Amino acid sequence: MIDERRLEILTNGAKYDVSCSSSGSRRKNTTDGIGNASFGGICHSFTQDGRCISLLKILMSNDCVFDCKYCPNRRSADVERTTITPREICELTMDFYRRNYIEGLFLSSAVFQNPNYTMELLLETVRLLRVEYKFNGYIHLKGIPHADPILTEKAGKLADRMSYNVELPAEESLKLLAPQKTKASIFKPMQELAIKKQELALERKTRTGYAERKGTGKFLPAGQTTQMIVGASPETDGQILRLTEFMYRKYDLKRVYYSAYLPVVQDPLLPSEKTGLLREHRLYQADWLMRFYGFTSDEISPLGENLPMEYDPKCAWALRNMDRFPVEVNTAPVEELLRVPGIGAKGAYKIVTARKHTALTFDDLKKMRIVLKRAKHFITAKGKFYGERKEDNVKFCLAIAERTDQVEQLSLFDRFSTPIPTPEIRLLESPKDKEFWLRSTPQIANSVLTGQL
Amino acid sequence: MRRIYFVLDEPICFFTAVFDAYKDTDALITSSKRFQTAIGDEFIQVHADEEKARRVLKKLKDIDFRAFREIDSILRSNSEDKEQVAFEYLKLVIRYGKSAREKLSLAPVRKMQDITSRVSFEIHRLHGFLRFQELEDGTLYAPFDSDNDVLDLLMPHFIRRYKNCPFVLHDVKRKTATIYNGADWILVPVENAEIRISKREEYTQSLWKKYYTTVAIPMRKNTRQMKRYMPVRYWKFMLEKDDETD
Repeated sequence: MIDERRLEILTNGAKYDVSCSSSGSRRKNTTDGIGNASFGGICHSFTQDGRCISLLKILMSNDCVFDCKYCPNRRSADVERTTITPREICELTMDFYRRNYIEGLFLSSAVFQNPNYTMELLLETVRLLRVEYKFNGYIHLKGIPHADPILTEKAGKLADRMSYNVELPAEESLKLLAPQKTKASIFKPMQELAIKKQELALERKTRTGYAERKGTGKFLPAGQTTQMIVGASPETDGQILRLTEFMYRKYDLKRVYYSAYLPVVQDPLLPSEKTGLLREHRLYQADWLMRFYGFTSDEISPLGENLPMEYDPKCAWALRNMDRFPVEVNTAPVEELLRVPGIGAKGAYKIVTARKHTALTFDDLKKMRIVLKRAKHFITAKGKFYGERKEDNVKFCLAIAERTDQVEQLSLFDRFSTPIPTPEIRLLESPKDKEFWLRSTPQIANSVLTGQL
Repeated sequence: MRRIYFVLDEPICFFTAVFDAYKDTDALITSSKRFQTAIGDEFIQVHADEEKARRVLKKLKDIDFRAFREIDSILRSNSEDKEQVAFEYLKLVIRYGKSAREKLSLAPVRKMQDITSRVSFEIHRLHGFLRFQELEDGTLYAPFDSDNDVLDLLMPHFIRRYKNCPFVLHDVKRKTATIYNGADWILVPVENAEIRISKREEYTQSLWKKYYTTVAIPMRKNTRQMKRYMPVRYWKFMLEKDDETD
């Protein structure tokens, strides 16, 4: 059994990975098994820094042959090295899972000896858990760059989600700060997994009946994710968002995480100041706009620029497109409502539902708890307009609104709010949006509304 | 003149009152002892009547089963005026049918949504925050204390998850427990539970506490946010928060 010291070292090595979500998979329990996955994800605890604990996030080993400058486990760092066995990880996962401490396992590893050896160990752990321990809970497996595609594919059949971290948003930065990683070593496996998943889904469609279909569908049911460090290298938000959009479209990623740079490691090539959380927050807001509100990266930010700090990217877009506003809440199509600053997916859904029965006034909107602080400058209700007319005044009001709830917002972006007991909702349905929305299902739209994705 | 129908805090009594009060123009149903009366109120003590309750329930389920679930959820909440909210919403359901819940410009519908989402949010939270301890015989035991009466609603989730291990959920505040033996479950009243934890339990708990403190990033300390997502009232049974006050 694992001792506290090794648990501490290996947790410390894994904890800077942002991803904590356990959502997106519907894996069911088996007759003699234990565990299942919850589609919306479940948070089991929250740490002092306000992040959720959903999965047991741990490294197999922190003994790395790579020397990435930003990483606390890099070859040249002077830290205590340790490794645990697949069986020890399984035991720990099962002990924690039975007591409802966790939703499953997030297993990652330093590149130990060589990429293939490491990947084999990770694969063996997941195989043990699924086959021997009959564990059907959530497993998120970190892919090892440069490992054999056969190993990666096998892992995809057992895990719920896999991720390759891009870490640095441009190849030059990668060369400088992570010399052993290349663009290809990260994007190639991502692409291979995406293609494999598509193939299997197609094959499943050709089969009919329960018996024939059995065992065909389960390939990374919760898809792939990735993570980028923001602020360690000179790339702008515009560049980061374009890369993000590219990966969503091309590799069918479920999510891109951003992590504001923290100076955990001292190196002349790295900045010594940490990046502000507000920049990270703005990127998440922009990411949301691309995934669920039908925006493109071109609309959100010019290539060489960063997102504005004074107000959120949707406000910034609206201010650049004042000729499109105000829109009438009682008649505007849902995709236009979604573009109104201050009206989110939940608000748009409420409006569309309620206006079927009665024409809405500002008073009704207020009672429905649509926040009008920002929205009032961009909408009319039954023809009435209560916002500011001059653009400068609107800008001023938006900046004030931002300042008053910044503290609140900073903590709001990727956790859950109150779930509303609504069934499946599809928000965007115009043909133009479908192109990008093919990946989105009513379930996903719904979990966006509940904020759990 | 208002007519106040006093009921016990149980569904049958509530549905009986609905039957009696339905035709009144100005009726109010409550089980609250802190209810503020006004001059001229007329009081009626309602006694549970299964036949009346059955008829109301049948009508409600025939119109919209989901509305029945919503009303059930309201009645489980800790809201002071839950009976009245449920009553007003039920009248709307009978009047408008399934589309009642979409009429967000009506106050009872908004109240219904508030209360039901609070209840289902607490269920969701408890799915995560419940902590099981392994007893000497291998049974898993989870004591908890919730705002709303949701004990039996927690069962489907945990049975799916731990279908092959016996477990007990203990609602300490309402002094009831559900016992699952690996096949079926029952609801029983429980005063005090005396438990003996297994040997492995203590060690696993210490590992979990170690993990909990290690995985936080000290440079990003944000206790306020932690408390928002995990309110202090749930900490009592969460062992990682045992010895902490913030």
